[in-house]
Amino acid sequence: MITNYIKIAFRNLWKRKSYTFINVTGLAVGVACFALLALFIKHETSYDKFHTNEQNIYRVLTQYNDGAGQVNTYASTASALAGTLKSSSPGILGITRLGDATPVIKAGEQLIQEKKFLYADNDFFKVFSFPTIAGDPAKMLVEPYTLVLSETAARKYFGTTDAVGKMVTINDNQAYKVTGVIKDAPANSQIQYNVIASFNSLEDGRTENWNRPNYQTYVWLDNHVQSKTVETNLNASLSKLMDTWGIKKSDRGILFLLDKFSDVHLHSSIDGLTANMDIRYIYILSIVAILMLLVACINFMNLATARSAERGREIGVRKAIGAKRFQLVSQFLAESGFITLFSVLLGALMAGLALPYFNALAERELSFSLFSVVSIVGILVVLFVVITLLAGIYPALFLSSFRPVTVLKGKMTASGGGLRKTLVIFQFAASVFFILSTIVVIKQLRYIQGSKTGMDRSQVLVIDMPRKLIANFSTFKQQLSTQPGISNVTASYDSPVSTGGGYSINSFEGKGTNLNFSVTALPAEIDFVKTLGMRIITGDDFTMSDEIAAKNEENNVVHFILNETAVKELGLTPALAVGKKLSMNGRNGFVKGVVQDYNFASLKEKITPLVIFTEYGYFGKMMIKTNGDVHKSIASLEKVWHDLVPYAPLEYHFLNDEFDSLYRTERNTGNILIVFSSIIIFISCLGLFGLAAFTAEQRMKEIGIRKVMGATTGSIVALLSKDFLKLVLIAIVIGTPLAWFFMHQWLNNFAYHTKMTADVILMSAITAIVVALGTVGYQAFKAAVINPIRSLKMD
Amino acid sequence: MIQLHRISKYYPVGFGKNEVLKDVDLSIQEGEFVSIMGPSGSGKSTLLHIMGLLEEPSAGEYLFQYDPVHKLSEKKRTELHRNSIGFVFQAYHLIDELTVYENIETPLLYKNMSSAERKSRVADILDRFNIVAKKDLFPNQLSGGQQQLVGIARALVAEPRVIFADEPTGNLHSSQAKEIMELFKELNTKDGITIVQVTHSDINATFGNRVINIADGKVV
Repeated sequence: MITNYIKIAFRNLWKRKSYTFINVTGLAVGVACFALLALFIKHETSYDKFHTNEQNIYRVLTQYNDGAGQVNTYASTASALAGTLKSSSPGILGITRLGDATPVIKAGEQLIQEKKFLYADNDFFKVFSFPTIAGDPAKMLVEPYTLVLSETAARKYFGTTDAVGKMVTINDNQAYKVTGVIKDAPANSQIQYNVIASFNSLEDGRTENWNRPNYQTYVWLDNHVQSKTVETNLNASLSKLMDTWGIKKSDRGILFLLDKFSDVHLHSSIDGLTANMDIRYIYILSIVAILMLLVACINFMNLATARSAERGREIGVRKAIGAKRFQLVSQFLAESGFITLFSVLLGALMAGLALPYFNALAERELSFSLFSVVSIVGILVVLFVVITLLAGIYPALFLSSFRPVTVLKGKMTASGGGLRKTLVIFQFAASVFFILSTIVVIKQLRYIQGSKTGMDRSQVLVIDMPRKLIANFSTFKQQLSTQPGISNVTASYDSPVSTGGGYSINSFEGKGTNLNFSVTALPAEIDFVKTLGMRIITGDDFTMSDEIAAKNEENNVVHFILNETAVKELGLTPALAVGKKLSMNGRNGFVKGVVQDYNFASLKEKITPLVIFTEYGYFGKMMIKTNGDVHKSIASLEKVWHDLVPYAPLEYHFLNDEFDSLYRTERNTGNILIVFSSIIIFISCLGLFGLAAFTAEQRMKEIGIRKVMGATTGSIVALLSKDFLKLVLIAIVIGTPLAWFFMHQWLNNFAYHTKMTADVILMSAITAIVVALGTVGYQAFKAAVINPIRSLKMD
Repeated sequence: MIQLHRISKYYPVGFGKNEVLKDVDLSIQEGEFVSIMGPSGSGKSTLLHIMGLLEEPSAGEYLFQYDPVHKLSEKKRTELHRNSIGFVFQAYHLIDELTVYENIETPLLYKNMSSAERKSRVADILDRFNIVAKKDLFPNQLSGGQQQLVGIARALVAEPRVIFADEPTGNLHSSQAKEIMELFKELNTKDGITIVQVTHSDINATFGNRVINIADGKVV
């Protein structure tokens, strides 16, 4: 029996090749996209879940509240926090601080600018689960100047993983001993490393320092311990500490929070060690994945029911010779199962082939590992069953319900038209939704690219500052500035496009001496404002004398430039602020000028108070403004670098690229959305194409008669397209407000965003109409130009 | 074998109704070869469909082998289609995607017959109808007469008690028609199969042993 079903299924499919092609292509593409999206979603949702203690690891957040409604939260803490935390609560099983750096490492004769370099406490391997290859995880990071290499780094540095006991030199001045080799971090880990050095190697690791909140603190709690309790205890301990420091209760705007580590990647608005994913994007992509399958299944259902008239006679005959309904249903399910099986296999193959392109699109390194292959085969089997039932059951029930005599008498017409129309509307509403969303995403990404952020990022090179160069920076700057193609050279602690660092202004002349006004502050070199093309609106830019004052060790005077927002929130005008005395975390000096607001963080965030100040000890980045041919500028840079910084390799990038990388998640999601939306639209059109062919065929006789009576080709194309156009218009009416609503929500994530205007709606509607009409019009035209004699002879 | 008592069939048309059959009384004995004749639209095909359980009467009683059909469940009717009733259609109604062999085999598949038995039965029929050479051809590769031969073979393979034929020679030319009618005659006399045919042709009617004339939905 089943062989009979398969035989007839195969012959049927073969006979209607174009229809089979539409179904198989649609389903296979749908399955392939679904598999890729599933892989992506699985990857993103598995972040940091591989740690054994995953449920009990927390990171410490610092929340600054300036009492004036301004609350800023950072993932950074001072190094001294760990000790206070440890003694404040029982049930803490491990604490590790993390600091990152980009030092120059000398291993043998190799000089490497190491970008994935962390400092961590010895508890690191207790808290997190990164398997060790060599060395004792219980004491690998106890001693100062010891470090652990990843498998990859060990191979790169020494050509072997047998590296324990070997020595490397960091920043040309400190020898470190390799005490262990560990496996590389999996791709779904926010903690990525090549080298992890002991935290004690840092000065802040050996002393209790509360002034530099530049580290992350992670804590592993015992199972029965509530994070809230630990949080409360920590804040109480801190409160006591502040009592001893004599800070008034009213001035204490600082609060520590515990944030579950494995939720950071998807659920936190504060980035982890690598860029976060937004859970809402995961939802959107899940919807895309499901819609993809649904749209492909709808094609199948629509074409199968539309073709029912053709199959009607067969069903009638089978009933007359004794087929039970159940047997007919099985036959049609076997048929849809046959198509589905083929499509699912083809789809899996397509997914495998498309994976490298998908990875490029999503900027990920996903792979179908053995585990994921097993689960994907599982998913495919489930998909097979679901699609077979979803796509096959309705046509099967529908087709098998015919009364034999109606079909045999030839009264059978393709019914189910109402449902078919509904499904087409659904498909196109989904298409319109994605077209509109895609347009808005593109618009926002363009907006980010082109928005005036208050600084000139063009032709600016950024270099991670080698530690050893900080002291000699002035010489370097002087030499480089005289070279052709170089306009300005400056340095700062953080990158100008993503500046962090929570400081607070403690006293401000005329505003009191017990302030706790939280600001983001950036130690910078005097040409910072000039190099980055920012505009001083009142007062002056830093000058050479400010540098001398800052470098004066005995009588150190710091100069500050505030942004407009800081001035405004202090309740001042720019003119009133300039020249005033100011003290910030122990640094005393004067306000030199007020700079026009610029975006020093992602455009998702509103511009908050910012202070740029002269301090020369902590530069992390060097910015070089070039002019003319950038290759010539780089040649100049290489020459000077070779002479003055032989101990570090030269690695630079463009500030514009760094700016773009801030929106990696948005860009990835946007790209995925664009490509996959196009595919959904493609699949919908495929179905529409099939339906249009069917309609044209069905109305062949009518077209023939109309032509004999003098209808033009144009009028017949219009006649055939009209009905489909109506469906698309309804779809637009349904899809547009939904997309409008969702995209409005999405744009609200950005403090600075593009406007949604009527032309967005117009553009998406026109796209949908053009695409649909193009699809239908081809079939309509084909039908309209047929010689009427041929179509009339058919009967 | 077949007993119709005051069978009527009407379709609603606007506010009134279109009566196709009016109070038809009819009985057919086992082993008869009956021809139903009448002008177009007289209701003869509807009568045949009702007898063949493809259509239900609007009123009246129908006993098939003494079973009241109007009380039978869907399942029971399918059983009758499988085991007791064979159909031959004017337009042959072979399944285009199946070969001659497979078309004939299909009713047996629905009877859940074993593969070996199916094979021997189909082989017998092919042999008897002299179409062994054509068994792997598809319907569109056959002439009309050959297609109808396959149609009859398919109706016969399940060994029914009665064959209902709706203008079986309507699409054939006269020499082919004669062959088909002779085959019916042979089935009737040799195998004792009851045959009920609808026909326009007086010649075809002569092959049977009774003629029922219908006009305006009534037996005349």
